[in-house]
Amino acid sequence: MVDMEQAWLLPALPAAAFVILALFHQYLPRKGDLIAVGSTVLSFLLALFVAADLFGQLPAGPGELVGNTSGFDWVEIPDIDFVLRIGFRVDQVTMVMLAVVSFVGMLVHIYSLGYMKGEPRYGWYYAVLSLFVASMLTLVLADNFLLLYVTWEGVGICSYLLIGHYWERRTAAEAAKKAFITTRFGDVFLLIGIVMLWREAGTFDMSEIFEKAEAGEFGKTYLTAATLLLFGGAAGKSAQFPFHVWLPDAMEGPTPVSALIHAATMVVAGVYLVARVMPLFEASYDGALYFVVVVGLTTTFMAAFMGLVMTDIKRVVAYSTLNSLGLMMVSLGFGEAGVGPAMLYLFTHAFFKALLFLGCGSVIHATEKQETTDLGGLAAKMPITGRTFAVGALAMAGVVPLSGFFAKDEILVAAQDFSWAALLLILVSLPITAMYMLRLYLLTFTGEPRDRHAYEHAHESPPVMSWPLVALAVLAVVSGFVVFEPIGKAIGVHSGFLGAVENVLVEEVHGFSLDWAMAAVSTLLVVGGLYAGYYAWSGAALPAKAAGERFPFLYRLLRNKFYVDDFYQWVINYVVLGLAKVIAVFDRAVVNDTGVNGAGEVTNGAGFFLKFQQTGKLPNYALAMIVGVAVLAIVGFSVKG
Amino acid sequence: METAAEQIPLESFLFVAAVIFSLGVYGVLSRRNAVQILMSVELMLNAVAVNFVAFATYTDPELFRGLVFAVFVIIVAAAEVGLALGIILRVFRNRATANVDEVSELKW
Repeated sequence: MVDMEQAWLLPALPAAAFVILALFHQYLPRKGDLIAVGSTVLSFLLALFVAADLFGQLPAGPGELVGNTSGFDWVEIPDIDFVLRIGFRVDQVTMVMLAVVSFVGMLVHIYSLGYMKGEPRYGWYYAVLSLFVASMLTLVLADNFLLLYVTWEGVGICSYLLIGHYWERRTAAEAAKKAFITTRFGDVFLLIGIVMLWREAGTFDMSEIFEKAEAGEFGKTYLTAATLLLFGGAAGKSAQFPFHVWLPDAMEGPTPVSALIHAATMVVAGVYLVARVMPLFEASYDGALYFVVVVGLTTTFMAAFMGLVMTDIKRVVAYSTLNSLGLMMVSLGFGEAGVGPAMLYLFTHAFFKALLFLGCGSVIHATEKQETTDLGGLAAKMPITGRTFAVGALAMAGVVPLSGFFAKDEILVAAQDFSWAALLLILVSLPITAMYMLRLYLLTFTGEPRDRHAYEHAHESPPVMSWPLVALAVLAVVSGFVVFEPIGKAIGVHSGFLGAVENVLVEEVHGFSLDWAMAAVSTLLVVGGLYAGYYAWSGAALPAKAAGERFPFLYRLLRNKFYVDDFYQWVINYVVLGLAKVIAVFDRAVVNDTGVNGAGEVTNGAGFFLKFQQTGKLPNYALAMIVGVAVLAIVGFSVKG
Repeated sequence: METAAEQIPLESFLFVAAVIFSLGVYGVLSRRNAVQILMSVELMLNAVAVNFVAFATYTDPELFRGLVFAVFVIIVAAAEVGLALGIILRVFRNRATANVDEVSELKW
């Protein structure tokens, strides 16, 4: 039986599938896709056993789990305390991620059988997808920062490769570069933060660093700086403001990839990291957590407003992802009390957001259109996609009793204890979220078809694609119920979701209690948002158009994504390229002309003068030899003398 | 009865060898005919061989390491002469001269 000590098998299986597919996919039947799918299915089953082993040990307080670590020291340099450890560690926070990654990874592998059928580089697609699952599972299992960083880059490169899967399309190649470079900015912060922690603590091991931080062995300012640098890495990966620009463009990749990487797993790696290093935030100045809240709220609001006006259905879902990621970060900014809600949101979000993306994929597969101006009325043609999409949209909006409701409400409860300003702002964002989610559904699935030809062409997707939708829709409905204690007990945990997760951090847990007043307020706001959305966009969407014409400046501001992308382009054009020109001059004048060419010219000139020594006359050479020997002899004797 | 080595001091041998060597150097520098230069080189080599034998006899009578070296010098000289004469012959065939001043193509 597999228990927590064999958790390394989870990433090992997809990694093996990657190696096999990357090397031999041309020679395998069906390009080896079934090997990749099989490895993820096995990984998911193993994850269930690992979960059973973990649940059996709960409730265990911080550090009380036994047999949950494995691994070995790969590289050791004793003189400088450097240990590169391939180490794995399972706890409740990890388990949430393991469940999400292995389950959504499995579904996306299956769904891709239909979606990617006959697409170019099919075998390579599956190879990279497996590599991604392997990297992501290692990332969440890593027990030290160095391994985490390695896999952090691993998921980054997979994201790059998969966004750029259709690299013949220029926009896809550009989007891949944009995603990679933008997240690299964050990654540099992360690396500096890790090195800072290592320099002071002499270890990469997370739990050791946390113990030292709690014991106050770091200078407080130093620790705060290092922690904020780690947060910089998390913000890059989780597309928080000001790094958010890459995520909408990442929609150039195949849709299942968007569902897996840019909704359910990789983008929440940042959230996971912040939750993981919460002890460091707790030991830092309070400002660090406030900073997280501010960044998260900024992201939430920018994304929610932009979601209102975008017309590409995948991009709207991408903005809703930004919105959710912002909320998770805000929740983490509340400190230890916010970790449980954030992880709950992460857990439920993975299901309903993957559902929304795969629903978009289904629409795109059927109509080959993804602009709302080309869609409409598809509910009749694609009943399964339409209904499951509606479930996903309502879960995202946070309608009772779908999963998004519980997650969002726990965040609100945590906000209550933190600050009323944050609470108010989150409440304000709720109706906006509800509005654009309903807008997306109405424009895609109801009303008059705006492109007759695409509409006639549309059909329900094959079962291999629709069944993952149904599975995710069911989970989008029920996954929120894990907060209730009886449900938790039914799946073998001692308490509900929050109690189990909070156990990792603190002895005392808040647990779950439904705040009726809060629930009522939030539900009222969500329903209000839905009503406003219905009023604005149902039918011919006349009120929405009128609003757009009434406030042209606002509309342009949102359509142009607050000009953030343009600002970055301006910086690149004038600052980066300007600096590059200066450096180019230096390169030309100093490095090239003086250094490289200079060395050549000196050699050349020396050769010109020395060549006259070669007279071609034998006696000259003989004389030189004899004089040379005589000089050497004299020197030799006098030195020895 | 004194041996020859005891009657004649080492310095005499070294003196003779030095004279022969100097003649060889002079020959190499002053001659223009390739064959003469080669002969001068032979003189230098033989001077060295004399030195070897002398030192062997005076400083290391039990073994004959120096003698072995002298034999090596003779062998190398023979091989060198064979090679060098071959080259000189080819040069002579090509341009009807053995004067080294006229063979000066390999210059700047």
